[in-house]
Amino acid sequence: MANAETSDADKVQPQGSTETVLYNWQDVTEEFMEAASELSLGELLHDSDFGLFEAMSAIEMMDPKMDAGMMCNQTKRKVLSFEQAIEAGTIKIQDIPLQDQIGIMDMTLSCLVTWLEGHSLAQTVFTNLYLHNPFILEDRFMKAFSLCMLKIVDLIRDRINRASVFEEEDFQPMTYGFKMAGDITDMRVTGMVKEAEEELSKTIRNTRSKSGEERAAVIAEEHELAVAVFSRLKFCRLLLTTLLAFTKEKCQGIPDADKYCNQMLELIPALKSTIQLGVQPDEKSADYPLIMGFEPLVNQRLLPPTFPRYTRIKTREETIQYLQELIHDFKAVCSVTECTTLHGAIDFFLEFSRKSPSVLSRSLVQLAYLNQSRRVFGTQLMQDVLREQIRNFIAPPALMLKSPILNNPQAKEHIDALLTHAVRPLCNVIQITGHNRARQRDKWGHLLEELATLQEEADRVDSALHGALIKVDPNRQHLACFGTWVLYHTLHVMIYYIQSGFELELYAPHEYHYIFWYLYEVLYNWLVSSLNRADTFLMEQDAIAEQQKGRNAKKNKKKKKGRQYAREVAIIQGTQALCGGFYKALVGFNIDGKLKQPEVEFDSEEVRYNHRFAPFGVVGTPPPVHYTQFKDMTDLRRFDHDPSAQEMYTAACKNFQQARICYESVSNPTEEINNLIKVSKTNMVVMNLLAGGHKKESKNPPGWDFSVHRNFPIIKVM
Amino acid sequence: MAGESKNISEAEEEKSAGRKKLEGWLNKTMRIRMTDGRTLVGVFLCTDKDKNVILGSCQEYLKLPESGEQEDPRVLGLAMVPGRHLVSIEVDQQPEIM
Repeated sequence: MANAETSDADKVQPQGSTETVLYNWQDVTEEFMEAASELSLGELLHDSDFGLFEAMSAIEMMDPKMDAGMMCNQTKRKVLSFEQAIEAGTIKIQDIPLQDQIGIMDMTLSCLVTWLEGHSLAQTVFTNLYLHNPFILEDRFMKAFSLCMLKIVDLIRDRINRASVFEEEDFQPMTYGFKMAGDITDMRVTGMVKEAEEELSKTIRNTRSKSGEERAAVIAEEHELAVAVFSRLKFCRLLLTTLLAFTKEKCQGIPDADKYCNQMLELIPALKSTIQLGVQPDEKSADYPLIMGFEPLVNQRLLPPTFPRYTRIKTREETIQYLQELIHDFKAVCSVTECTTLHGAIDFFLEFSRKSPSVLSRSLVQLAYLNQSRRVFGTQLMQDVLREQIRNFIAPPALMLKSPILNNPQAKEHIDALLTHAVRPLCNVIQITGHNRARQRDKWGHLLEELATLQEEADRVDSALHGALIKVDPNRQHLACFGTWVLYHTLHVMIYYIQSGFELELYAPHEYHYIFWYLYEVLYNWLVSSLNRADTFLMEQDAIAEQQKGRNAKKNKKKKKGRQYAREVAIIQGTQALCGGFYKALVGFNIDGKLKQPEVEFDSEEVRYNHRFAPFGVVGTPPPVHYTQFKDMTDLRRFDHDPSAQEMYTAACKNFQQARICYESVSNPTEEINNLIKVSKTNMVVMNLLAGGHKKESKNPPGWDFSVHRNFPIIKVM
Repeated sequence: MAGESKNISEAEEEKSAGRKKLEGWLNKTMRIRMTDGRTLVGVFLCTDKDKNVILGSCQEYLKLPESGEQEDPRVLGLAMVPGRHLVSIEVDQQPEIM
């Protein structure tokens, strides 16, 4: 990592100072102008290895959009570095008025969150000149704040880099060689901030209004200002300590982090209400709020030539709002330690990702769950977690304590190898949820390749174990145990892939029918049967365990825990019915001619279909369903008579009804399930109306409203 | 008639002389002053009738080269200077390296 950093820095650091080339310049302006004017219109004079393509990729100087360096010349004010500004007296380094300090602190926080939204450090945080060299600051508050800020930036950068779930649109890791107060310990910095806080709290105490006494307005103001600076310093110190707590090994800092988050949340109202006390930027400087201590163009020359000139810095109000959300996300991160099972963790991560949290929260939650050596919570080996998970999922005889082949060395070898190979794809499932929503889709697609390989191996291991098992106990079997577990994950990934297309608005309504059909007929079908299979195995295992215990075992023990997957199966069947409803509704719309189809000559449904399901081609189980198969299976001529649109709507209505019943049978429904119930109910009513001939003649295409659920729309008939 | 054709051939000769000169400068280091006072140093790669010039591995200096002040250049890479922004052009005449 250190290497990568230096090489990054090298890239931006202007070279040439070491070059000692002596030029022998000769003015050829006149000659050149004359010679060039002889060229004919449109003719380019160039070497054979330089073509139009290269010419096109040159940046155009003096073009305001392309030429970032131009700004330095255009701005009327002189761009001063920190040292130059001190010399010129435009910046104070001691006795900075508290109003200025509040303004500077708020602005720095604004820069920080703007950076976290994916902008460059050089154009955000490091437009604060104080951060360029806080050690020469004599004002103790500002010095402590600046150092604390540098530490925060450094930690954030480190966390995000380590988790590496960012893409260029999320985060700019480049530091441009800025010093991050690395030569001073975190302890020292928090100590400095604390000292500053104590000094301020003295002022706060001394200026507090005492009962029966009227405070002079000046003192009241001083009090308010001191409180404002105090809250900001404390907030930043807490932010730093929270981030430090997250870096502790084995999640030991998580409870502390949670505590600090609560303290920060308590400070938020104080921060919000005192924004106005700080100096405010001039309204006129439209592009960039300018106050003392900030110079938006100071790093312009560090940026690549075609960089956006200005970064819009968030307003102070937006900043506080952002920080508040960020801290709530941090608190959600803390709750990851409650995920005791891998499947529970995957659900947690999917849910966490749905709210599109910031890149920092996404990174923190990744690091909290899986450290870099792929240990869960920094303690358990992923292999062990997987072993436990598979045991709970399908109770493979080979993994059970009293397994007849538990001590079979070959079987052990097979299992260990399989688990080792399963680590990567399963870690990737977790990691993919850490990426931003738009990037996840592609990654799910690629993950299928890995899962397909794992599936093959799982099948091989299963049959080897089966062979070993029936030699010892001919009544048992070990077929498709590990295989079913891998299949379960594969199906989920396929479903995420398909569903993300709705969220990203990739599908056109005329494509919906095969998308929903695939979910309905293929993926959810397979998912239900994989869970049924797992359930059967679990029950078998229970029965065997019972037998082994003999009759001595307590009889009054609950007969059966109830099917372990009842809840999950209910949800899946609900969703399957929901997809079925959509599919049938779409067929109905098609018969009625309500769906706008692309012009035939420019379109091939087969090409679209193949493209939509292309990543499934690598998967062995479930085998991909090819377009011709889809056509065969959905051919309406398979019915006794051509179904009418009304009949399709009635069928769809039944499916939606069924979906509702499934969802409603789930106890303790989550928000997600309640939304799905709402979608099923509404669509059921719509289908009922359509089946009754409502708007039969209208050729208006139906509307699809994704506001209740990101993947399953409410159908609107117009 | 004869005079005309002579003129054309003369013009052609002249043209090719201009081209030859330009071609001779190709891949040589050039220093260009722009209308806004910046100076660019880079390898001459391409030009056209409107004197638009493309420089490769281009570096940008803010100050005048004569000012003698040491200044770190900014790396631009491939850059095109529109002809109307050209103030002066200098070519580096390196003595032939043996």
